Amino acid sequence: MAKRVDVAVIGAGPAGLAAAIAAREQGAENVLIIERAEQLGGLLPQCIHNGFGLVYFEQDMTGPEYEKAFMDRAVDMGVETQLETMVIDLDEKREITAVSRKHGYMKFRPGAVVLAMGCRERSRGAVGIPGTRPAGVLTAGTCQRFVNIEGYMPGSRYVVLGSGDIGMIMARRLTLEGAKVEAVVEIMPWPGGLIRNEVQCLHDFGIPLLLEHTVSFIHGEERVEGVTVCRVDAQRQPMQGTERLIPCDCLLISAGLIPENELSRRAGVALDPVTGGPVVDQDRQTSVPGIFAGGNVVQVHDLVDWVSREAEVAGRSAAVFADKGRAKRTAGIKVVPGKNVRYVVPQLISGAGDVTLHMRVKEPGLSARLDVGGVLKKKFRSVRPSEMIVLDLEGEALRKSGIKGELVVDCDTKGSG
Amino acid sequence: MAPRETVVCIGCPLGCRVTVLRDRKGNIAGLKGADCRQGEKYVLKELENPVRTLTATVRTGDEGFPLLPVRTSRPVPKALLAPIMQETVKVKVRPPVRTGDVIAKNVSKSRADLIATADWPGPRGEG
Ligand SMILES: Cc1cc2nc3c(=O)[nH]c(=O)nc-3n(C[C@H](O)[C@H](O)[C@H](O)COP(=O)(O)OP(=O)(O)OC[C@H]3O[C@@H](n4cnc5c(N)ncnc54)[C@H](O)[C@@H]3O)c2cc1C
Ligand code: SF4
Repeated sequence: MAKRVDVAVIGAGPAGLAAAIAAREQGAENVLIIERAEQLGGLLPQCIHNGFGLVYFEQDMTGPEYEKAFMDRAVDMGVETQLETMVIDLDEKREITAVSRKHGYMKFRPGAVVLAMGCRERSRGAVGIPGTRPAGVLTAGTCQRFVNIEGYMPGSRYVVLGSGDIGMIMARRLTLEGAKVEAVVEIMPWPGGLIRNEVQCLHDFGIPLLLEHTVSFIHGEERVEGVTVCRVDAQRQPMQGTERLIPCDCLLISAGLIPENELSRRAGVALDPVTGGPVVDQDRQTSVPGIFAGGNVVQVHDLVDWVSREAEVAGRSAAVFADKGRAKRTAGIKVVPGKNVRYVVPQLISGAGDVTLHMRVKEPGLSARLDVGGVLKKKFRSVRPSEMIVLDLEGEALRKSGIKGELVVDCDTKGSG
Repeated sequence: MAPRETVVCIGCPLGCRVTVLRDRKGNIAGLKGADCRQGEKYVLKELENPVRTLTATVRTGDEGFPLLPVRTSRPVPKALLAPIMQETVKVKVRPPVRTGDVIAKNVSKSRADLIATADWPGPRGEG
């Protein structure tokens, strides 16, 4: 590939598509998306359920519908895509190395790069459950692909480990397809996903949610025959004497997502140990000049709408960088998670210009009072780790406050939610 | 004793568990546990006629694109979810299909249609 690329986007999920569109809108001429799969859309084609677009389009859309809106837009805007192409290396000078069956091995250096590789699921290995290694243990996302895209059912009687959104959504989907879901097992005292999904996926179908429980053993030689489920104590350790066997032929693991940052690491991008994604500034620039990031690669989002919004910022900034050879420096103030705040993105802000802060709390609580360094205060009836909090901070208020160095975000709550 | 009926409100992340009190005739006598009026309204609506948008897939017979995702054109009563699922098994689709096309009309007499949520230009399988 000898031709010029202004902005190269790695990954064609909702983040990549939104970033590419925004880069074109900002004036970048040659915008290229590189995607390893054989189709655009990332995770969306397999998320056939509704619940997408409520914020962005103020409409209740399914994953494929939401995806189509962006795909049509990208085509209209003249975004180029290269499918079935895997980026295998990226360096600190923004040199991309990619391989594809059709084009072979290629190296090129775009004006700017947007990382939009999304995330991957924690697997059985990452969770660490003892027992045999039979067929029938798979992640909820893999199961979703089998059932919604490829058209076959991996089992007939399921236990789901982890109450993340994907796990709960699959519990409903499998039930509608005629399978029996015995239980969703969650180690924490609260569900891992959105309440909306707990109600519409579990309560609607009478699927039990076992909080403060875990799977302590997988039974079966060739095929899963059952799992041992037990209570956990305050240290999340299995409690003896509480074990019970649930017969099943499939164990779905829905134990969280990890941002996909192999490439970021190779490029020397600084990562935030809490989010698992790059440390980014207000413009979604990483620690490596000219490399930007958006979507689940930065932080695991609950709603795809925020993925699109975040990626648009990254795409716009990348176009500016490709044009000028540098970004406006925005990294003056460090945003620091304070009381009951697990993380805040972006981690660095300029102190000027409006900025949207994304954050998650550590523990659920009632009558929450969020305090952004005294510049912005907001009350919430309740907060939960599963629901991302999104706050718009006005540049004018920030500038007036004269804050320098650090901006601490605290979340005081009364009682637990 | 009748099982205690509870409805979880999804109006905000609080997720109040609302207990429904009924009189001897089974009429709703009151609600306990909702933290706000909005939530009470939601719970009453849920009790009266809970509706949901059903999303599913139908078979295409195309090796490269075996399933076409579909949804109901509007939310349908919860009791109709299972019958509509049974109907999707029998649905036959012919290409080309565009997002929004009606795949089956008035499924299970719900007054909702099944509509495609993705495009299917035609066989992508071998040959
Ligand atoms: C199963 C599931 C269900 C969800 N349900 C909902 C919901 O109901 N409502 C809602 O609003 N949100 C939902 N979400 C959240 C939302 O869909 C995700 O947050 C969103 O898909 C993330 O977008 P993304 O573009 O960052 O990542 P992805 O969609 O994962 O896209 C990343 C893309 O990058 C590609 N890629 C990665 N590495 C490389 C490489 N080296 N070279 C080339 N390509 C590469 C991948 O193939 C992939 O296509 C759900 C998420 C999951 C996992
Ligand atoms: S009743 Fe009110 S406070 Fe409680 S969950 Fe519903 S909307 Fe929130």
